[in-house]
Amino acid sequence: MSLIKLENLCVDYGPISAVKTLNAEIMNGSITCILGANGAGKSSTLGCLAGLVPVSSGRIIYDGQDVTSHQAHQMVSAGVTLAPEGRRLFPGLTVYENLRLGAYTGHAREGFQEQLEAVFGYFPRLRERRDQLAGSLSGGEQQMCAIGRALMSRPRVLLLDEPSLGLAPKIIVEVAKIIRSINKTGITVLIVEQNAKLALQLSSYGYVLETGSLALEGPCKDLLHDDHIRQAYLGGTAA
Amino acid sequence: MLQLTIQIAVNGLTFGLIYILMALGFTLIFGIMRVVNFAHGEFYMVGAIGILLLFGTLGFNYYLSIVFAVLCVGLLGVIVERVLLRGFVGRELNSMIMALAVAITLQALAAILFGPQEQSVARPVTGVLQVAGVFIPRDRIVVGVIALAVLIAFYLFLRYARYGLAMRAVAQDPAAAALQGIRPGFIYSLAFGVGSLLAGLAGALMAPVYTISPFMGDVPMMMAFIVVILGGLGSIPGAVVGGLLLGFVESLFSTFFGSTIATMIAFGMVVLILLFKPSGLMGRAQ
Repeated sequence: MSLIKLENLCVDYGPISAVKTLNAEIMNGSITCILGANGAGKSSTLGCLAGLVPVSSGRIIYDGQDVTSHQAHQMVSAGVTLAPEGRRLFPGLTVYENLRLGAYTGHAREGFQEQLEAVFGYFPRLRERRDQLAGSLSGGEQQMCAIGRALMSRPRVLLLDEPSLGLAPKIIVEVAKIIRSINKTGITVLIVEQNAKLALQLSSYGYVLETGSLALEGPCKDLLHDDHIRQAYLGGTAA
Repeated sequence: MLQLTIQIAVNGLTFGLIYILMALGFTLIFGIMRVVNFAHGEFYMVGAIGILLLFGTLGFNYYLSIVFAVLCVGLLGVIVERVLLRGFVGRELNSMIMALAVAITLQALAAILFGPQEQSVARPVTGVLQVAGVFIPRDRIVVGVIALAVLIAFYLFLRYARYGLAMRAVAQDPAAAALQGIRPGFIYSLAFGVGSLLAGLAGALMAPVYTISPFMGDVPMMMAFIVVILGGLGSIPGAVVGGLLLGFVESLFSTFFGSTIATMIAFGMVVLILLFKPSGLMGRAQ
């Protein structure tokens, strides 16, 4: 069953169109990825889903409801939470305060302690750094804090924008493992990545964007063996 | 000599606390909305006029009058933000001009309703307290204690309350705050309301000390501006440090050299800060 449906989604920034009539479906409980080069429209698509970027035309259907004109706080309340590109933690607040803000909305506040324990379970490092300013964390810890903060809202859908950006290979493996176990608890994950290999290994279904338009879509195991994908995104030669 | 020192310190602390009350709201509003609120002095004035009406004319209890006047000023702040300033959030120049228009309108309105002349209310607390040979007017103590209590409450609110945390989040990154489910508009109203309320409290506390007139907000507004430049625009700790610094410098120099020299020194400090540390004592470099 599809949880999110994008119908002819268009995003324009003034005269520049970032996303052109995109159609996509995200299955309930899946990990889905959007691939593409810089400026392909991946982040704009996620921004629309998070209610942060206004949709120019087209519709977003979430759980059977039209949420096209929802704003960010409404999307969070509805269960769709974005861990944005560049983490966007509150650098002058502590790790604990960042996590507390993640549970700002009504339904998340009720299960705060429980959820905090769950997040500390995924990221034990955050428990140690609890009272440290978020701005003083290492890159990997910041990414963990950003994912942790998003989880604090008890989302049904977790949107991850470039979670591997700027991280050491060892940390990337660790983060990937955690994304998988988060998904196992029933949370639908939509991941945007430039690291195509990582994204395709994690996800079951993938969309490939090129300059705002859908270039290719399919199950990730097929995409991994697609000649075009191998050449353009995996740095390999055609088999 | 010791007595004089204590006298200067007590005066400096009292003035400092009032300056902090003024500057905190000013810096809070700027930090969260990027609005330079030139109407801040008028909220101070409205707070004082509230005391003139409730305590002076109608004869209510002074402390009850403070509570009621201050809440009304807070409400006025929320209305001004929602109706007049909301459209200009983040646009510093436009919002500044709008705030200036609000200031002039409120002054004119007060002049029409209450007359342009200076008025005064009887001091609700009289007499002096003599401690170790130092004379401290009792009304100064009342002002100091109330201001300090409210400042501590404000600190605890910002530090621990859900909405206080949300305010700090919006000040640091509005888009990221929205992604946590925070409604920015609500936080703007809240910040402007709380900021106005603090200015109104400063006015209500100073109403029996100074004379009351529609234009009484100009000087405290200027002082808030100095404090905020000293401490760093948008910085809460900066407003506290700047307020105390200005209070003590004023108290010291006006005791020995008169108030004109004290004002000159205060602006001299602003010039030095702007030249050598433009982001202020506690401000972040932009």
